[in-house]
Amino acid sequence: MKSASSILSFQSSTIPRFVRRIAEFIVGGIFIYAGVIKALDPIRFASDIDNYKILPWTISVRLAFYLPWLEIFCGLALILRRLYLGGLSILAALISVFVIATVAAKVRGLDITCGCFGHASKNWNFSTHLGLDLVLFGLVISLLCACGRNFTTTER
Amino acid sequence: MRQALILVVLAFLPGIGQALYFRDKVSWQSPVPASEMVTVAQARAWGRNAIWVDARPDVEFERDHVSGAVPLNEDRWNELLPRFLATWSPEKRVVVYCSSQSCNASREVARRLRHEAQLKNVFVLQGGWEEWLEKK
Repeated sequence: MKSASSILSFQSSTIPRFVRRIAEFIVGGIFIYAGVIKALDPIRFASDIDNYKILPWTISVRLAFYLPWLEIFCGLALILRRLYLGGLSILAALISVFVIATVAAKVRGLDITCGCFGHASKNWNFSTHLGLDLVLFGLVISLLCACGRNFTTTER
Repeated sequence: MRQALILVVLAFLPGIGQALYFRDKVSWQSPVPASEMVTVAQARAWGRNAIWVDARPDVEFERDHVSGAVPLNEDRWNELLPRFLATWSPEKRVVVYCSSQSCNASREVARRLRHEAQLKNVFVLQGGWEEWLEKK
């Protein structure tokens, strides 16, 4: 009986291995960078979360100390291929929440700064923000699908 | 699922450590402590002892602003800060405002004035420009 990690090994997939590795490094690197930038200034990130007007400040400020580290750990999981599937699943969930929150803010007419990459993203408009989120979401889902295909193939 | 749970728990450790480190530097109950907020009426009562700081983007400042207000936004922070400091004096109270209650530019500018410029007596205007217009 093979262990789950060996079942999820990337031995036979329709996506070439080097393409997957590149995608993993891009997605992982982006989330590590985004996490580090936010971890360096959690008070500012708390303010950015609060700006979406979805959560009360008491929760926003606590999330601001937690989310950056979750992003960093998930990014590392992709690059180091440890807890890989868990990292991918969390990132998919996180990006989904970001997209929903961004669209909700736009619909409510809020002038938000996403805060995704600290000062670097301060002047990003809605389209840029949403575009990057969707590209990242696409990459994460592709990696999840590749992972799922491997799972099915190995089980057979 | 187990992997996700491990990551979720792992991320708590540095998060809690960082929160403990910042425990005295963060306002945990509200974005701006009540002591750092000021109403339009209070700020008006300060008269000449108040410096009004407009934290909105330049375009909005040029359209209209509180009479005598100094522009100071994060887009041109390095350029505008010296101009603001030229009008500042220690006995004056600084009132920062942005467009409305929901904006956070005034909070950020006030925070930077306190921490980066080391100023005291910096207040955030409740309700921002919208409130000021209503009470005009």
